[in-house]
Amino acid sequence: MRLAALWCGASALVVRQQPTRRRLRIAPRMAVSEIAMPALSSTMTSGRVVSWLVGKGDKVEAGDPVMVVESDKADMEVESFEEGYVAAIVVDEGSDADVGVAVGYLAETAEEAAAFEPGAAPAAAAPAAAAAPAGDAPESVSVTMPALSSTMTSGTIVSWLKNVGDKVEAGDPVMVVESDKADMEVESFDEGYVASILVDEGSEADVGAVVALLAPDEASIAEVAAFGAPGAAAAAPAPAPAPAPAPAAAPAASSSSSGWVATPGATTATPKARKLAKSKNLDLATVAGTGRFGRVTEADVEQALGIAKPKKVELVPAVAGEAAAPLGSVPMTGMQQAIAKNMEATLSVPVFRVTKTVATDAFDALYQKLKPDGVTVSALLAKACAIALVKTPLINAAYGASGTIDYNDHVNVAQAVALDGGLITPTLRDADKLSLTDLSAAWKDLVGKARSGSLKPEEYQTGTFTISNLGMFDVAQFDAILPPGQGAILAIASSKVVPIPMPGAALGVGLQKQMTVTITCDHRIISGADAAAFLKDFAAAVENPQSLV
Amino acid sequence: MARRVLALAATAAALRPLLPKRSRVTTRAALTMHDYDYDVIIVGCGVGGHGAALHARSQGLKTCVLSGGDVGGTCVNRGCVPSKALLAASGRVREMSDDDHLASMGISTNGVSFDREGVAKHAEQLVNKVRGGLEGSLGRLGVDLVPKFGVYKEPHVLDVGNGETMTAQDIILAPGSVPFVPPGVEVDGETVYTSDEGLELKHVPEYCAIIGSGIIGLEFADVYTALGAECTVIEALPKLMPAFDREIAKTAERLLLTNRGVDYRTNVFASKVTPGKIGEKPVIIEMIDATTKEHVETLEVDACMVATGRVPNTKKLGLEEAGIEAPRGFVQVNDKMQVLDKPDGDVIPHLYCIGDANGIQMLAHTASTQGVSAIENICGRTHVVDHESIPAACFTHPEVAQVGLDEDAAAERAEKEGFELGKAVSHFRANSKALAEGEGDGIAKVLFRRDTEQILGVHIIGLHAADLIQECANAKAAGTTVRDLAFTTHTHPTLSEVIDGAFKECVGMHSH
Repeated sequence: MRLAALWCGASALVVRQQPTRRRLRIAPRMAVSEIAMPALSSTMTSGRVVSWLVGKGDKVEAGDPVMVVESDKADMEVESFEEGYVAAIVVDEGSDADVGVAVGYLAETAEEAAAFEPGAAPAAAAPAAAAAPAGDAPESVSVTMPALSSTMTSGTIVSWLKNVGDKVEAGDPVMVVESDKADMEVESFDEGYVASILVDEGSEADVGAVVALLAPDEASIAEVAAFGAPGAAAAAPAPAPAPAPAPAAAPAASSSSSGWVATPGATTATPKARKLAKSKNLDLATVAGTGRFGRVTEADVEQALGIAKPKKVELVPAVAGEAAAPLGSVPMTGMQQAIAKNMEATLSVPVFRVTKTVATDAFDALYQKLKPDGVTVSALLAKACAIALVKTPLINAAYGASGTIDYNDHVNVAQAVALDGGLITPTLRDADKLSLTDLSAAWKDLVGKARSGSLKPEEYQTGTFTISNLGMFDVAQFDAILPPGQGAILAIASSKVVPIPMPGAALGVGLQKQMTVTITCDHRIISGADAAAFLKDFAAAVENPQSLV
Repeated sequence: MARRVLALAATAAALRPLLPKRSRVTTRAALTMHDYDYDVIIVGCGVGGHGAALHARSQGLKTCVLSGGDVGGTCVNRGCVPSKALLAASGRVREMSDDDHLASMGISTNGVSFDREGVAKHAEQLVNKVRGGLEGSLGRLGVDLVPKFGVYKEPHVLDVGNGETMTAQDIILAPGSVPFVPPGVEVDGETVYTSDEGLELKHVPEYCAIIGSGIIGLEFADVYTALGAECTVIEALPKLMPAFDREIAKTAERLLLTNRGVDYRTNVFASKVTPGKIGEKPVIIEMIDATTKEHVETLEVDACMVATGRVPNTKKLGLEEAGIEAPRGFVQVNDKMQVLDKPDGDVIPHLYCIGDANGIQMLAHTASTQGVSAIENICGRTHVVDHESIPAACFTHPEVAQVGLDEDAAAERAEKEGFELGKAVSHFRANSKALAEGEGDGIAKVLFRRDTEQILGVHIIGLHAADLIQECANAKAAGTTVRDLAFTTHTHPTLSEVIDGAFKECVGMHSH
């Protein structure tokens, strides 16, 4: 809402309002500060000083009411932003002043206040600019964090309503500020062009702090931005747009999965892509679009800017409507490249595989029983592996390049999780020691982090053994490739109901749920008998799952 | 009079063959009534026709509804009802995808997925259920539901096709409305569509254009963005969301559009919209400046939703032939819902028109209210609907709701009638319940007369605004003063305290 609305209809109350407008010059600060006529509503252009609550020489604390102003809507007490001594009152009671014009001055000390002569000041309105030293500072106007309530000391910028380069008229809302009680749109009291935004969306600033700079005209935007930015290093919010990794000339229209060629001059990029590109000064024509009909999406722009976020991932294969399958050459993401490299590296490792069928009726029953406690299948499987790994430590070991068998003193079970466009192996560390509920909770946490791309290296690079589970995808059997630095990986397929000979059952045949698991081992250190021993222990743990609890 | 009506109503079924069918007519008129098939025939079976039929039966009138095969009408089949199902499902997707919001409440998920067909099916099943309920209620109350189209011939007489006619003492037209498609826009129902087809959710576009920033357009933008689509809104008027109070529209713009990466154009017509083909070619939208009529931009999108308002469904009602002038299809009525032969013209006897077709206020519940009102007038009890006290709601997340005048209109009235306009605003961010939900966005604004302290309008954007507006609508209808309201007790901790805060501020009291 508009700042002004707070006071509408409240004429019965005297509301405190701070002078939200401060025209600051960036360079040399005056020792004497202005008390300016504030805008108490969006329509107010001038106000009358009904009464002064302080006199010359009085000490004023920040937040002290200094005057009562009559606006078009209400009488309001106006508080001082700063502390100091009243040096001068230049607009008398009963007189009008335009919004923004100095009506009084505050000095830092009593002495300065006493010595102050308004005429000597870089005073009222326009002369201020003329009197100020014409240093190197380009002229600019600061947008400051306003006080939206008498108790507010700082505010969070919820969103910027203008971007760098946008023209701002006086009265235009420029940002939304969240205070302790309300979100408010804050209007600009000046016109100009947004030269730089110093406090980002979501960040907090103290009341009175400069949050953005306005340049007087389009031409001086760069100058103001360069001068006004805090510190040279931070002066470049958009360091010369990162060279797009896309082929140099890849106009969006050049190709698309559907073979569609965009209408010349048509807007094809999505709104978010356009907004991001504009804010980073990136030419959309240089971005290769991967959306439908070759459309440039937000992700494409992020990719081009080198700021691609780990994509938000849906672990369950989502029904994505009629999304066209990608065609042609699509650049691999960093994660995909890393996976490719790791996979190629495994070619030098001699491996062998051993497969076993494991009955899962009891396991499934236990899972159903423990599910309400938050226990997951992933935790149960990790636990079963951990038990077997403790019994056959060689499976938990790795081949040392210098001719050693490197045994691990931790049993860290990694499990592969498919991400949109990749794969990662969050790791349940010390799976042999943690309880099922702890493992389940840890797993949920890890998956959440994997999804948001916030896994720490120790959470996905410390596995001593890996499980690859495709049980949910109805596969009969598969084997997995050994990850670098580990001795073995277990591939777990779906469980199926199969008839088995069962003496005593009707016709001598009974039904059993079974799954097929396949272990892939590094044959340099592990032999077939070791693998078989591990599988026997694993099967025992799954088939008699009470041992897991 | 009222007592007599009641008594007759109670015994009407048993005595029907012997008694005049209606209680309000004079004895002489009653004697002639045996000639008609029904006391009242209602043409159209939407929410308006249904509301009229229910009230007609409660007054003991022999009632028939000609549904034209569309039981439930727009609201139930192609409007309010399915859209609420889509908004409910997509709203949950939005909530569960908002990791930051969830994390602030200590919740994490393993990601959200949805099945488009499942969401669409939810809407379809809801429609079937609600339509079934509506049809069932008519049958239970003894309304004859006939799946024919009714065409008006002359007072008391309807042509129902095949040379057949049906007659009634009074006829109520409730034919509803259909989506308006501007010239130059080609609707194929697949890639370019109106709410009629859009509610089937046949696909989720990656990038969708929505023409019109009214309630329908905003609700669709809400659904699409929740399901992962990006949207551009195209508004022909110079300001967005013309149906909302200006201040509310500003907040809505931020919460519903800007924050979701939805961009918009204003003062722009979609002058030519060419359908695409899913997977083969995009929809092409050519836009011209509304003022200069010059081409300003061409958009390529996956889908284009046309939400540019609705027009009366009155073409086939036989009005013109009967000498009834209906400008742009809108049937002219007086405040008793009686049809006039032309704007400010003469009353056509025994003919009423309710709902979207009269264009007074195109809302489902308004149609129903007008239906009840028409029956009251038919029964001889003069009744006039207080349209200014009827609330309206937009079911986006958060919701927007309003009743009465917006601030511009209120200021104009204050000026004209010479009273002082009062205004108070309260914030969801100061409300405990809203904060508990982590949904502190939004405001409630009360506009009132300072002299009488009566409500002129209330405008709310925020969590469950559509539920919060009812108290204000009732208060406005009853003429309750803001001072009286400020002294009522609102349940703590509920969102109703947002409204409480605004009422208190109206009279200089503090709520926190």
